[in-house]
Amino acid sequence: MIKVHYFGIIAEAAKSEGETISSPGITLKSLIGDLTEKYQLDSYEFQIAVNRKIVKEMDGLELKDGDEIALLPAFSGG
Amino acid sequence: MKKTFLEGAIASEFIAESIAKHQSKHSIGAHNIFLGQVRSDEIEGKQVTAIEYSAYEEMANEKLHEIRESAFEKFDLTCLHIYHSLGRVKVGEICFFVFVSAKRRMQVYEATEYLVNQVKEQVPIFGKEIFENEDFQWKVNS
Repeated sequence: MIKVHYFGIIAEAAKSEGETISSPGITLKSLIGDLTEKYQLDSYEFQIAVNRKIVKEMDGLELKDGDEIALLPAFSGG
Repeated sequence: MKKTFLEGAIASEFIAESIAKHQSKHSIGAHNIFLGQVRSDEIEGKQVTAIEYSAYEEMANEKLHEIRESAFEKFDLTCLHIYHSLGRVKVGEICFFVFVSAKRRMQVYEATEYLVNQVKEQVPIFGKEIFENEDFQWKVNS
């Protein structure tokens, strides 16, 4: 299972704080593509974290069971 | 893992208590404190009354640990503390508290600025600006 977390404006767009997805072997790129289509995230800017680290390059990254993905809009602490 | 996130506003008593706790550390000669306060911005004619903070806490705590370690490497500090609110903080209340202590004063100014900037840029915290009528918009750091 892959755990996906949504934050800020992305959580609002998805109407959810997260979900669990069972798609063994899916690439990060195709997962993000699916979620973008499902929640119409095209107009939003966000970074992606895999296992709590920001990922700059999605190409070729295959997800495995237990991975934790997060869709993170601009940080605005302070 | 050191505790950073506090529910609601950071009380002035908490800040005073933090200062008092350092009186037993006799190698310290200088403290510097940064306090972030929720500002009542006016956006398109509407007044901000509060900010509601949320965070990706697991990642934020890992990131904060890295930031602390890097500050100790860069600067000659005795200790440092970072606190940030979660949940709703009203205008005029404190939402962010950075406290840096060292032997001498030179290091504490630079270290405080470094820490404040790092937290704002690197830590996954999200602020929702709440208006008088409970409308809101997602805050963007300028």
